[in-house]
This record gives sequence, C-alpha cells and structure tokens, in this order.
Amino acid sequence: MKKTKISICILLFIVVALLLMSASNKFGYKQPDPIKLIVPKGWPVPKIDIFAKNKLTEQGFQLGKKLFYDGRLSKDGEISCASCHQNFASFSTFDHDLSHGVENSFTKRNAPALINLAWMKEFHWDGAINHIEVQPLAPITAANEMGETIPNVLHKLRKDSVYLSMFKAAFGDTMINSQRMLKALAQFTGSLVSYNSKYDKVMRGESSYTDYEKRGYQVYKQHCSSCHQEPLFTDNSFRNNGLSLNRFHDIGRQGITNVSSDSLKFKVPTLRNTQRSFPYMHDGRLYSLYDVVEFYRTGIDTSQPTLDKKLKNRISITIKEKNELVHFLYTLTDSSFLNNTRFLPTISAVKRN
Amino acid sequence: MINQQSKLLGILKQQKIIYSLLFLMSPLLSYSQAPTGQLKITFTNSVNNVPIILKDKVYQNPFGEDYTVNKLKYYVGNYSLSESIIKKSKHHYFLVDASAQNNCLTIEVPVGEYNNLGFTLGVDSIDNCSGAQTGALDPINDMFWTWNSGYVFFKLEGFSPSSSADLQRIQYHIGGYKGDNNAATAIQLFPTDQSMIAIKKNTTTEIEVVLHLDDFWNNPHAIKINETPVCMLPGALAKKIASNFNGLFSIKHISYLEEDKN
Repeated sequence: MKKTKISICILLFIVVALLLMSASNKFGYKQPDPIKLIVPKGWPVPKIDIFAKNKLTEQGFQLGKKLFYDGRLSKDGEISCASCHQNFASFSTFDHDLSHGVENSFTKRNAPALINLAWMKEFHWDGAINHIEVQPLAPITAANEMGETIPNVLHKLRKDSVYLSMFKAAFGDTMINSQRMLKALAQFTGSLVSYNSKYDKVMRGESSYTDYEKRGYQVYKQHCSSCHQEPLFTDNSFRNNGLSLNRFHDIGRQGITNVSSDSLKFKVPTLRNTQRSFPYMHDGRLYSLYDVVEFYRTGIDTSQPTLDKKLKNRISITIKEKNELVHFLYTLTDSSFLNNTRFLPTISAVKRN
Repeated sequence: MINQQSKLLGILKQQKIIYSLLFLMSPLLSYSQAPTGQLKITFTNSVNNVPIILKDKVYQNPFGEDYTVNKLKYYVGNYSLSESIIKKSKHHYFLVDASAQNNCLTIEVPVGEYNNLGFTLGVDSIDNCSGAQTGALDPINDMFWTWNSGYVFFKLEGFSPSSSADLQRIQYHIGGYKGDNNAATAIQLFPTDQSMIAIKKNTTTEIEVVLHLDDFWNNPHAIKINETPVCMLPGALAKKIASNFNGLFSIKHISYLEEDKN
C-alpha cells in the first residue's frame, strides 16, 4: 500500500516536472507548431516514419516550401527544385521529355512526381537515394541540374534576413546548416500527400463511377494492379517493363547496385495524377496515356533477359479496353491537390534577387 | 503584471524543488560510473615514414610508379580499447584530413591497462542511411556520394604518369555499406614494444597513430596505378582496396601528460 503511494507520488512529480519544463521553454522562444502527416483512411501506415528524427512543424514546412521554390539553390539563380517539379504536374516535369538544368543543360531523365513520398523507401528512378533528407544533395550539386555547391547555397541563405528568421522559427535559432536546410525541404516534400481523386471519393462512397470508368477499373485490376498497387498505385519496386535501351545507355537500377540482373530496371511510378504528369517513362519518351497503354499492349521488347515476368506476354487487352483503362486513369487525377495553394509559393518567395 | 510575476515566481520555486531533488539523486546517478581518464588519438599520414607533403612532392609506390597526393581524407570511429567499444564513441566520427593542421580527437575512457587500440575506418551502415547529418558526417565535407547515397570512407586523389585516366589522375573513393560491399574496416593496433596502453585518472594518454600510405598499394593486395587508377563506387574493387586498410596503420608513440594540479 505504502509502495503504491510512493510510486504515485513519484509519477505525479515526474508529470509536474515535465509540464514545468515545457512551460519554461516557452519563455525563450516560440516553439514551432507541430503538424501531422496526413495518412488517409484505408492507406497503410508508412513503413518508415520519415519524420521520426525531423519533427514536422508548420514553420519547418513553410521554410521547406520557400527553399523548394528558391532559384538561389542553383548556380545561376534560375533553377529551383520547382523548375523540374512543377506543382500543376503533380510536382513532375510538365510537357518536357527530359528535365533540364542550369545554362540550358539537359538531364537524361524525366523528373518523377513528388507525391506520397512518405510511403517511399528509396528515391529517384533507380533508387539511388536512401533517405528523403539527402535527396536534394543530388540535384543541387549535379552539373546538369542546379550546378551549385552546398557551402555556396548556405552562404547565400545566411545573407538573407528572411531566411535567418525562418530558420529560427523552425529550429530555435538562426543557425543555417546543411542538416536544417535538408530537413526543412523534407518537411515540405514529405507533406505532399495526394488522396482526393475521384477514385478516392468512390472508395469512400462519396462519388460513383460511370459504367465506362467501372470497366476501366476492372481492366486496371486485372492487368496493372500487381505493380501499380492500390492505394498508392505503385509497389515502389524496380522492374524492367521492356523499354528499349535509350540513347544515353541508361541501365537504371544496375547503375546503382552494379548487379547485372538489375539491368534496365526502373522504379514503378505511381499512377496517381498520371494524366497531368506526362510525358511518361524515365526518359519521357511516351507522350500520352494512350501511347503508354499501347506500349504495354504491343511495344514491349520481350527479348530482354531482365524483362519482368508479368510482362513476358505483354498485356493483351482490346482497343475498347484500352480506352476504358485510360478513362479510369483519369479518375486518379486529384485536382484539389494540384490546385492546393498551401503547396504554392507565397508571393515574396517566387523571385528574390 | 503582478499575476504574471507570481506565476513566474511559482515556476521558479517549483524548479528549485526539482533541482534540489535532482541534486539529492546525483550521487545515485554517478555511483555507477567508473573512474575515467582522457585518451587523445593523433593521426599523422606518411610515406616512407615521413609526413606527406600534399601536391608538390612526387612519391613512388612499391611498383615503381610515381604519384602525387592532392587529397587524403578518411573517417574513423567506434574507438575501442582491448576490444571493448568506448560507448560514447559510437556514431561519433572523426574525419582525418591530411590538409588539416592536426588531426586529433580526445575521448573519455575508463581507467585501466589495455593491450590494443581499435577503431573503424569507415562509417557504420546505419549512419549511411539516416538522412541529413552534421559534424564530421555533414555532406559539406565532400565525403558523401550525392548521386548514390552513402559515405566515401577513404578518399585518395592525386596524379600519376602511370595513370591512363583523364588528366593522368588517380582517384580512389572507397566506400559502400550494403551487404557484401560493406567496405568499413575494423582496425586493431598493438603498441610495437608490447607495452600496455595505460589510462590513468587526471592524465591524458596520447597515442600517435600513423597511416603508412606505402601499404595502400600492396598490403596484401596489389593495387597498381597502371591497372587501377580510379575506383569511384562501391563494389568488388572497392572492397578489394579496402582489404588493404587493415595494414595501413601503426602506433608510433604513446605519451602521458599529467594534468596540472593547479
């Protein structure tokens, strides 16, 4: 009896102490406001919590957004993350087969959409990047993307009083270092969750499909869903879908793993917002969804040794089914996400010289 | 205003109670700690037992190939004494850079006598995939592969007339943390005269560790410049080069510096 009393006392004491500690902190500076990653109903919980060591806050998100839209992250001040990851294209490169960088240079790939990254373990078409926080290092330093060095970027940011106050608001003081910059960027990109397409509304019982769309959904379920798995519409695996080797000799995953069985494997992209993320494939070689479905119907190079087993007979569907499928894919467009002003730059962040 | 003041006073009073409680508990907290001393490890880098001069000096490897050293950087961490890992050193890396004035680190270690010093050359796999880091692992140190995530554990760059690479450069960026390609190497060093490494209270034990670059080329695997001037990614070749890391180092000197009692 006595023992329980004592342990209750100790417990109470700890609770009071914790409360006081959090209260006294507030005298120093305003704590950033915590926000939560949206995990839509019915979706799996992300296997890895990308914010476990990067507390998601409104101030961190806002700072990340400002950095995302800031050309000063590049050598010539012209190319921001958003140059190749355009919000209206589901944060992919719109209408260009190859994303392009500083001084009119071309990259060898089409920048992928930046949505639902919190469910992704590896990044880039070839999975080169093992953590969302270190991803920006690649485009910032690549000569044909942003062509800049990290110390130079930090130097530019430190000269800007707006950044100084935003870093303070997000992290407690005005220190600007690579870790804070990268964590803030991850807070923005990791928060880009798209889950309000017609498909989602149908699944939630808020809308219904036309017969045409319904048939398209059946075609999808039968022929596409094993790799483009619901609800993310990707299983985030690396597969060879039978595209021919391109003029850059881009071998995909093999370039990262050095394993020949990974030759020509690329990440299965999400089909969400696919209507808006054209052109398609890692090098943007296909311009319309009709072209894409036709490729799976008749264009797959079945002689490739690393071709995915599921595609060895191509996808046999009729022209009618092809049209139905494309119309189903249109229902994956989430216009409330694509038009969400929360993900757009605040006016002052658009251009600063 | 008065209300706020009294609130503040209240908090302060309660904080006093917390501090005094913590103070009372402190003997309990420190009870379990064994006495400790300071261990200072200094890294020097040499060719033929002479400190390396960057850029200008032309060296010759055991195969008679001339080369210069423009850059030599490597990560060390996970220090241990007689195989017991110094807990505090876990995930604390030090980047040795031949262009730095000196390369030394000091850690607090338990008092005792030890027959060897150990450390890892490289970065643990978990620290290769934990996102953005600061300190030695900050990507601004130019030891992170931005296009294929992971740290370069050991970087040696220079030029050699025997190199067939662009500009006759030699460029060895050795790293890799995945499975068979893990290039992190455990190093264990025994004092040459079989003496013990003593860690004493109020004393700094300084160990001078020397890297002998001569062993990079042939101990035990032959790395000839005319065959392998460049290694820039994880894999079998990096692993082979890393297997020479074990023989790169030795303890040159141990000294003891007693703390000034004043």
